[in-house]
Amino acid sequence: MYKAEVRGELIHGNKTYRQITHEILRPFEADRPPRWWYVGIFIGVSMTLVGLWSMYMLVTTGIGIWGLNNNVGWGWDIINFVWWIGIGHAGTAFSIFLLILRQRWRTSINRAAEAMTVFAVLCAGLFPMLHMGRVWDAFFILPYPNSRGPLWVNFNSPLFWDVVAISTYLMASGSFWYMGMIPDFAAIRERTTSKFKKAVYNILSFGWVGTARGWLRFETAALLLGGLTAPLVVSVHSIVSMDFATSVMPGWHTTIFPPYFVIGAIFSGFGMVLTLMIIVRKVFKYEDFVTQGHLDAIARILTFISLIMGTAYLTELFIAWYGGTEYEMFTFMKNRITGDYTFAFWAMITCNAIIPQLFWFKKIRKNLTIVFIMSIIINIGMWFERYVIVVTSLSKDFLPATWAAYHPTIYDKAFFIGTLGIFLLGLLIFFRFIPMMAISELKGILKETSIKKDKDHGTK
Amino acid sequence: MEQNNIIGIYDDPDVLVAAARKLKENDVRIKNVFSPFPIHELWEILGMKTRLPLLTFIYGTTGFIAIYAFLYWTSVVNYPLKFGGKPLNSLSFIIIMFVGTIFVAVLLTLLTFFIRQKIGPGKNVVMIDPRTVDDKFAIVIEKKADFTDADVKRITDLLKESGAVEITEKPLPENYIEEEND
Repeated sequence: MYKAEVRGELIHGNKTYRQITHEILRPFEADRPPRWWYVGIFIGVSMTLVGLWSMYMLVTTGIGIWGLNNNVGWGWDIINFVWWIGIGHAGTAFSIFLLILRQRWRTSINRAAEAMTVFAVLCAGLFPMLHMGRVWDAFFILPYPNSRGPLWVNFNSPLFWDVVAISTYLMASGSFWYMGMIPDFAAIRERTTSKFKKAVYNILSFGWVGTARGWLRFETAALLLGGLTAPLVVSVHSIVSMDFATSVMPGWHTTIFPPYFVIGAIFSGFGMVLTLMIIVRKVFKYEDFVTQGHLDAIARILTFISLIMGTAYLTELFIAWYGGTEYEMFTFMKNRITGDYTFAFWAMITCNAIIPQLFWFKKIRKNLTIVFIMSIIINIGMWFERYVIVVTSLSKDFLPATWAAYHPTIYDKAFFIGTLGIFLLGLLIFFRFIPMMAISELKGILKETSIKKDKDHGTK
Repeated sequence: MEQNNIIGIYDDPDVLVAAARKLKENDVRIKNVFSPFPIHELWEILGMKTRLPLLTFIYGTTGFIAIYAFLYWTSVVNYPLKFGGKPLNSLSFIIIMFVGTIFVAVLLTLLTFFIRQKIGPGKNVVMIDPRTVDDKFAIVIEKKADFTDADVKRITDLLKESGAVEITEKPLPENYIEEEND
């Protein structure tokens, strides 16, 4: 039941168990972090401050400072919300889909991908919260007994589904992430010589000792949590898509939305994982753990998902014509392919459906500089996809008299920069204080996946 | 705790599994095994089972029913809102029930794991051998009061034969003792 076939060598360099512990923990055991870390923290804090300024202005002035108008009621806030949630899907897709599919190459990537998920979902959550306008009343969205009737929240509203889905997602991915770290914290606890660190990691490790029964329960619990969280990947973004699809706006009111959003989310998430892993492996010299083979596998998945994205775009266009609704036809053929937002539409097509097709070539998959650039292009493309969906449909709907153009203001942009800063800060803190790869899982695959040469104990 | 334990340290999981099998064949009861990562064969050898999946299923089912009951009570009984000819007991409840079931099941499974395993923040442990979180594997055998020297020697020999790199005897702190089976 627990066995899994593996592909090739997943950990290079004929490592021993001790070497794995040592190499993964090396960045923490350095007395002080490298200089780039401080530079990164500085940039992250500056960006966060920009965002905080924007949030402060928003809360004290009102939603009017954003570029929204009567017609375009959703702008950068919802675009960025969907974008961040999409990025967040990678962690779950990586750690959980691949766990259930018993793809063991996930082991050196899942921890970082899950970290990404948690921070991305945190960033995403900020947008709808502040979009409520009176953020101090945000708790009204929770179904609690109140003095207003008690008038309960609307359980049939996609906006409430969002609240439920995202908080569940944050809780589930956060706890899955933390649970995986417990054995690694125990390893740090036993290794560290600093009294302070020992005390901190003693608390964090929950007193884990690694008995056989403990491992049995641990692994069973991880599989169960994985199995439970996997449907969330599908449901969270389906629910996000229903924010759009349950309305009657042309371009939104389509049944393709849930699968299209889920695939898009996994696409951007995998893109972000690729960006992150290329940086991590370079900066921390983890080339032995995140091998070319790992990056190659992600690139192949991206090629495949990119094809699905392309198909989805074409399907939307086809249905707009085949459905025979003039409004749909207008939205897709006039307002997206041509018109005011034509740049965004073609940027989306190029970045998501065309450029990733370059991954068909082995040479390109092997050249990490190009792969890195392409992973960033994918995320830009996915941002444009959300822009196209949100803005084009709203700005020109059924009545030409109500048409309006949308232009983001400085506050929209500052808020987005702020969330990028929060994400960056989160990742830097993660790099410094949490093992970037699941040490115990790496050890678990070592024997089966690396070509052994040590014959020291040939008892078997 | 008074009891002493014989501890065999191994440095290879395959050797460890072979050793555990051999000890079992010789009717030596293994009290515990410490390893830096899960070793699946051991569970079979030691006859360990867990009922966590069943519990998770129960949690999920309970959560599903409880959430539906809550939705029904709020929307139909407590404050029915009639508008647009829409049913009060709506089919779209299924979405919240789906997500809510996962919420309840994840949370309770996690709690059960922590409670059953008796771990939590602030628990202090002294490792039997700190290297078992790094690259060593330890088999622990309880040295019962009625053990004769011959018994001890037999076990030690078995451990040695099976490839143990170190054999020691020490008492275990109390919080190491896990239930026989659950």
